[in-house]
Amino acid sequence: MIQVINLTKTYNGKKAVDAVTFTLEKGQIFGLLGPNGAGKTTLIRMLTALTKPDSGTCTVAGFDVRQNSAGLKKIMGVMPQENNLDRELTAYENLLIYGMLHRVDNLHRRIHETLGIVGLSERKDSLVSHFSGGMQRRLLLARSLMTSPRILFLDEPSIGLDPQIRRQMWDIIRKAKMDRRTVVITTHYIEEAEALCDRVAILSKGKLIALDSQDNLKAQIGEYLVEYVDGEGHLVQHICQSRSEAQTVAARCEDGVTIRKSNLEDVFIKLTGERLE
Amino acid sequence: MKKFLEWYPIYLREMLLFRRKLFKLGYLFSAMVIPVIYLIAFGLGLGRSVQMGRGNYIDFLIPGLVAMSSMSNSYSWVASSLNLNRLYFKTFQIFIQAPISPSSIMIGEVLAGMTKGLFASLLTIAAGFLTSSHFTVTPLFVATLLLNCFLFACLGIITGMISKSHEDTSTYSNFFILPMSFFSGTFFPVDKVPLSIKAIIYIMPLTHTNILIRKENLDQEGLLSLVVLLAFVVVFFVFGSQLIRRYNE
Repeated sequence: MIQVINLTKTYNGKKAVDAVTFTLEKGQIFGLLGPNGAGKTTLIRMLTALTKPDSGTCTVAGFDVRQNSAGLKKIMGVMPQENNLDRELTAYENLLIYGMLHRVDNLHRRIHETLGIVGLSERKDSLVSHFSGGMQRRLLLARSLMTSPRILFLDEPSIGLDPQIRRQMWDIIRKAKMDRRTVVITTHYIEEAEALCDRVAILSKGKLIALDSQDNLKAQIGEYLVEYVDGEGHLVQHICQSRSEAQTVAARCEDGVTIRKSNLEDVFIKLTGERLE
Repeated sequence: MKKFLEWYPIYLREMLLFRRKLFKLGYLFSAMVIPVIYLIAFGLGLGRSVQMGRGNYIDFLIPGLVAMSSMSNSYSWVASSLNLNRLYFKTFQIFIQAPISPSSIMIGEVLAGMTKGLFASLLTIAAGFLTSSHFTVTPLFVATLLLNCFLFACLGIITGMISKSHEDTSTYSNFFILPMSFFSGTFFPVDKVPLSIKAIIYIMPLTHTNILIRKENLDQEGLLSLVVLLAFVVVFFVFGSQLIRRYNE
């Protein structure tokens, strides 16, 4: 569905995306995980024809993003990180304009459907400027779903949302996968990547440093972690390949030791030496 | 929606926003305050002691004020809103990511700018009818007005696309729009200015709008001005469309 080869983008002499290469199969939820400034948004912008790469190639659903972005634009939905809704238009008007731009059939019915999906039907005639941040994020998601896109690009979809709304949004994203849509999602929330993604690409300082399924990424560093706080107040971690190994290590350690399964943040720390947030 | 109507959602969006702003007193007031001030200061004040050949100064001034008003409003509303939509609100992204051509974006924005410019011009025309009994609106006057709005809306797109900050749009306005307002025949006939300055004055598109808008019929001088205005329209439209085509964040 997506093939990216050596994609590079430089801003003011600094490589925001540095020779990134990956492929993505249809119907997957693909996560781009990394801290702020890792290059996730720049990568999404290049994939969605908003930013022109300096070098490299990028093909989405058979369309070369540089040569035939018009074809790509017909089959993609984009939810940007920054709120680019018209604040002085109502929710309905925002979707109306978007739907007309994308020539959505049965537009009025489709607007009502998508507003229903994100739970904003009652507020369709309210100005977006009167919406809370969470409602605006939901409307952005609704807009990206308006065209029933084959591929959905979601840039930090749940940023700033409370846990309850975040889980509702995850349900909508999972439903998109069930509908055979391909989803590319950027996030710096470990919990979000673990809850949604089939495959995860870890980005750091513009470079792709790992790409695999969650289980394989965790297996690369070891499935279990033994943690305790030492006498000087520092958190000490031992990575273990199996539970029995973890129990052996724990037996040698001080009181207050915990054994837990490794997560994507542990993978990130192991690979980059940095924390995600 | 048919392909040739791709521009319509962009126009509709601007009109929906315009409708909301229209009911705000400040917005309406800002559209007409400058031409009305000039009309009072130059027309009714200074103009009473100025004789223009066979007619009154105010009869000379009003078409010029309509041209100036249509220029500044078509230009500034497009330049300002496009710049803000591109750099701050990021709403321009949805046009770039939609399956429509750059020229459709251009047409939608320009027609919206024209509508706003015409709205402001109508207020000036109304003020003209109230202050001059000889003021008439001919078909050539209307055609020139439409052409002027189109031309300066195209220039507004160019400014909106190349400005790197909102302050930049004011800078461009101060360098190009403000001098044009005063030196392109709005307030005085340009045929009597020194030859050295005349060349610069005749490069300015508003000079040709002022020539054409004051004609009752299309004579040779008017035809030349029409050709110059059409040339500006083509150049600005093509350049603006190219800037949209090359858009890159």
